[in-house]
Amino acid sequence: MKLAPAAIPYRAFQKATSLGITLVFVASIGAGIRIGSPAFLLLVAGILVAAVGYEIAYYKRFSYELTDDTFDIRSGVFSRREREIPYGRIQNVDISRNVLQRLVGLSAVNIETAGGGSTEAVIQYVTEFEGKRLQLDIRRYKRGESTDPDSTDHSERREPDEVLFEIAPSELALSGILSFDPRVPGLIIAVFSGSIPFVSPIIPVDAPPLVLMVIFAILLAGGMVLAWIVGAISAVVNYWGFRLTRSEDELRYERGLLQRYSGTIPFDKIQAMTIKDNPLKRRAGYATLAVETAGYAPGQASGRGSEAAVPIASRQRVEQLANEIAPYEQPMFRQPPKRIRRRYLARYLIALGAIAAVVYGLAFWFGTAAVPWYLLVVAALLTPIAAHYKWIHRGYSLGENHLITRNGFWSRETKLVAYYRIQTVLDTRTIFQRRWSVATVIADTAGSLSLLGTDAAAVDIDQRDAEQLREELTERLRDALADRRRQRAGGFEWLGADDTDPAAELADEQSPVESEGNAGRESDTQKPDEQTNTDRDDDSTN
Amino acid sequence: MNSLHPRIRIVWMLRAIVIGAVVGAVGVGIATAVEGSTTVAVGGAVLVIILGVIHAILRYRNWRYVVGEDAIYLERGVLTEVRTEVPLVRIQHVDSRRSAFERLVGLASTVVYTAGSRGADVTIPGLTPVEADGLRKRLKQLVIDADGEDAV
Repeated sequence: MKLAPAAIPYRAFQKATSLGITLVFVASIGAGIRIGSPAFLLLVAGILVAAVGYEIAYYKRFSYELTDDTFDIRSGVFSRREREIPYGRIQNVDISRNVLQRLVGLSAVNIETAGGGSTEAVIQYVTEFEGKRLQLDIRRYKRGESTDPDSTDHSERREPDEVLFEIAPSELALSGILSFDPRVPGLIIAVFSGSIPFVSPIIPVDAPPLVLMVIFAILLAGGMVLAWIVGAISAVVNYWGFRLTRSEDELRYERGLLQRYSGTIPFDKIQAMTIKDNPLKRRAGYATLAVETAGYAPGQASGRGSEAAVPIASRQRVEQLANEIAPYEQPMFRQPPKRIRRRYLARYLIALGAIAAVVYGLAFWFGTAAVPWYLLVVAALLTPIAAHYKWIHRGYSLGENHLITRNGFWSRETKLVAYYRIQTVLDTRTIFQRRWSVATVIADTAGSLSLLGTDAAAVDIDQRDAEQLREELTERLRDALADRRRQRAGGFEWLGADDTDPAAELADEQSPVESEGNAGRESDTQKPDEQTNTDRDDDSTN
Repeated sequence: MNSLHPRIRIVWMLRAIVIGAVVGAVGVGIATAVEGSTTVAVGGAVLVIILGVIHAILRYRNWRYVVGEDAIYLERGVLTEVRTEVPLVRIQHVDSRRSAFERLVGLASTVVYTAGSRGADVTIPGLTPVEADGLRKRLKQLVIDADGEDAV
């Protein structure tokens, strides 16, 4: 199959614009090229012709095909490439359309697999209809269903997707208000720190320290407000019209105001779920949910992390949603030993000491003696409380099918990892942790957010507990895998949706609404199907 | 529990010496450029080498691994001790490789890859080439036996 013909002019336009901008830039810095001279115009015309020519060749060369078991792409003008992606390996199929593409009716389709650093199949661009058809057909081929092109439309109508979540205007507004991107102040500081030499003459260095402090505070507050506004706008633009639906074996999302995204996440490719909140959201009873797959390369998902994140919803709704995606029981968090609070206290006091040293150093440098020591004292008095809160929000819980960990006070993350998703189990002890005889146990998954170092981790637990937990996790992983294999071998009726969480499947068939408490039932219903229950005992359910 | 081949210490020490030499060369270069004294640079290089040698010895002492029935277990680390458990079913592929230093002392390493994000590649250094090859083949067989469960 071919790309949409409209892709030729669009791509050529895209390429010519970026080249044009470069040219104008080069001309404007005075490289001896005058805009408007015949030579320059000739150059521009030449570039345009070359761009169109290249795009025509690209269009002619590019073809894709859905075969019975692979998705094939042939592409390349100068160097040709043929790529076959087995359906079973496809993680996500995403469609994105920006404003311009929507005007001309084009869609970009990205197909992700777990390997590699970048998107494995980029199809730029097909018509809107073709994009949707691709998404649906890949799903159908994955299930190994009949591939008669005439029947496709009917079978799709037959099973309407169940809407899991639809963002309400109030929630969108809230997500804007409550989203504070901590990266932005850092960015602002990074950008403007270069201009300090130019600004410093304006700042009256010889002014009394109180005035200096006020100026500094105003600058800081301004930065915060700016960061907050940027965060709010980007949240609203990103999550405009967010919708999460579920079909039999996939999650689908849609979102975006300027650039419209839609994509699919097969249930059997979900690696982990994260529920995030901060003190503000906790107070108001809200939370954020992110669903991780192994498909996305780091930083690729437009810098906002996982694509299928419910930006904000009431905590209850978020938990219900997470439960529908993968049923889990209410976690009973085990906290790190109490003595660890003293470690946090020491850490905060050391940090505070460093700040005090810097402040006094600066005061000495500028020759002012008036240091706001009372602020430091207040901060020092607050450290025990901070240490306590850090401790209180830490914990892990071993559920029936999931490891649940929780960390962080300012940005608290609760991670849910199914045992059978664990890749490796690590148990680390830094030199400081050994002093307190504690350790951190990390359950590594193939998720993509994890690349930023936020794996499910039970931090600062007692070393003996850590050892036990590590062994327990590997054991549960082994048992869960054995379970799944048995189900695949024995339960032929599950083959239709072979990898889906069986509990979720069961919930679908028996009662589409209520899905809690099925985890126990599942193992019972599975028993008659078991054929190879010889090598293990059922301790995974304890 | 297996420990590594004692000669791996030589590899790590050589590495420390190279790093120390580079640090020293850069330091001396800067010192001569700004016409400062070169003692600091040389001292820094010597310090790096001493620390590197101590680190190599401790690292060797703390390294343990065992290839179990269904998982590889590793214990290592000097400042931060890390224990890793890699289930065999999760192994994607296995390399055996030999760096220049390793060839010099007649050693090899085996690298085990998983789809995980943190411990995505686990290196077992300090094996004789025969051991490394044998380990690779054994792991391959174990992984095949552990069967075609999707690793991601």
